[in-house]
Amino acid sequence: MHCRTLYATFRRNFIIQLRAYPKDFFIGNVLSAIYTAVSAFFMYHLLFNGQMKDSFAGYAGTGDYISYVIIGNCMYLFMVRTLLNVSRSLITELREGTLESLMLAPFRRVQYFLGNMLQQTVTTSGEVAVMLLVCLPFGVRFSGFNGLAALIGLALALVSYFSLSLLLAALMLYTRDTYISQNTLFAILFLICGVTFPVQYLPGPVQWLSQGIPVTISLDIIRNSTLGGMTAAAQIGSYVRIAALSAVYCIAGFLMIKKVESAALEKIFG
Amino acid sequence: MGSFMKVLKAEMRKQHKNYFFNKSIYITLFIWPLLTFISAYYCYKPFRLDKIVGGLDYVNESNLVVFVLIGYLSLVFFRCFVQSAWRFSMERTFGTLELIYLTPANRLAFIMGNAVSSLFESIWLFVVFASGIFVLNASAYNIDMLSAMLGIILLIVLSILWGMLLNALFLFSRDSSFLFTVLEEPMEIFAGIKVPAAVFPIWAKAISAVFPLTYIAEMLRRIFIKGDGLVQIKGFVLISILIGFAILSITILCLKLGERHAKKTGSMALF
Repeated sequence: MHCRTLYATFRRNFIIQLRAYPKDFFIGNVLSAIYTAVSAFFMYHLLFNGQMKDSFAGYAGTGDYISYVIIGNCMYLFMVRTLLNVSRSLITELREGTLESLMLAPFRRVQYFLGNMLQQTVTTSGEVAVMLLVCLPFGVRFSGFNGLAALIGLALALVSYFSLSLLLAALMLYTRDTYISQNTLFAILFLICGVTFPVQYLPGPVQWLSQGIPVTISLDIIRNSTLGGMTAAAQIGSYVRIAALSAVYCIAGFLMIKKVESAALEKIFG
Repeated sequence: MGSFMKVLKAEMRKQHKNYFFNKSIYITLFIWPLLTFISAYYCYKPFRLDKIVGGLDYVNESNLVVFVLIGYLSLVFFRCFVQSAWRFSMERTFGTLELIYLTPANRLAFIMGNAVSSLFESIWLFVVFASGIFVLNASAYNIDMLSAMLGIILLIVLSILWGMLLNALFLFSRDSSFLFTVLEEPMEIFAGIKVPAAVFPIWAKAISAVFPLTYIAEMLRRIFIKGDGLVQIKGFVLISILIGFAILSITILCLKLGERHAKKTGSMALF
């Protein structure tokens, strides 16, 4: 009985997804996966004949560039999807005209967002699985895979993306803009969080900034557990760090949403 | 000719008013390409530039930024037209396309106006970037001015023609937005923006031959980095002119076929 909001949101979103947007996103994703893989493949094998700087293996924890980039992109997809679905949920309700009725119901915010989150995680996991499958011929190899460490890492990564998306949700609802804020944020995160290259190549101050964003840590953890073969015990420090950061983002996000929500309602219905 | 210019001007003005109503457009026009460009630049960092293959040994740590800059600058030019074409497809949904087709306005002038207005949106960006190139490349001022001018003119003309072709293609169907997905990302990969087409396998070379951007980007790189003169780039110039004519003829054909199709089915706004 306690999870009614969560379950209802979860189910409703699945129905929307299956009926309103059948395969478009899916095809788009497979295509982007192929483009990413082709691009990395060309760069590594054709343009540079596999000649990396010695520093790369040190920074990345692996010498396998192709796997490094593709795993980075898979996690980036998880992040983008979480940010898109959770952050946009309220503003989508606003646009579709359901926000008013939603606000009239005594719904639990946490469960509502978690329901959105769970639904999109299930869908995205399917997409990522297909992406990895498509990328196999291009040379993705999990050279050092530690199942437990990866699982804990993925769970913590998702929590951290969730916390980030709450902040974005507040911003979106406040500015009532999704297009500019989300795409600018995606472009910045892509640049500074080490999706396709180690953050150590960036200038010093930007590196500090990127260490304050949980996305960077989540990428490190996932790569260390799938390519570097690090055990869960060896990564406790990173786990604690990402959990602490997520907690801070989460609290800030919920506080801001509470504040913005009333302002948004006033603006729309007032 | 007078009426052609009138339609051209009117359409340009309309587009400008439609999309420059607030300052946020500058974020999409400047900040996003800038962030993409910086990300692309850092992608080269893990590699050993001295081991680069494919006749690109003129690239080194100091001119890498110019190398990437020229590629992305040309890409921005062409990409802004893909976006203009996508917005153009909204004319159909809004019903304005139908109204325009009821007037005796020259169709070619209409889509040209649409494309040119996008060009003006990105031209100030071009100035910023281009001065960047000159500042960064100040040590190696052996650029042949005549070929530089020619290269820039070809970049502008071909990107406008490319934009017109896309606009014309979007006239066919309301569902042509898939073209957007198909043309946006592959253009970046296959036109040799990050990895020059010279090192591609044969199948990828075949794809890259279709995009005019391939020739333009390579030509501009040779002019601005290698310091090639008119003699060395004449092959690129010739190909660009040929492609330009081919694109223009296909555009005109598409316009005629598109209108005939619409007249026959009588459904300008819907399908």
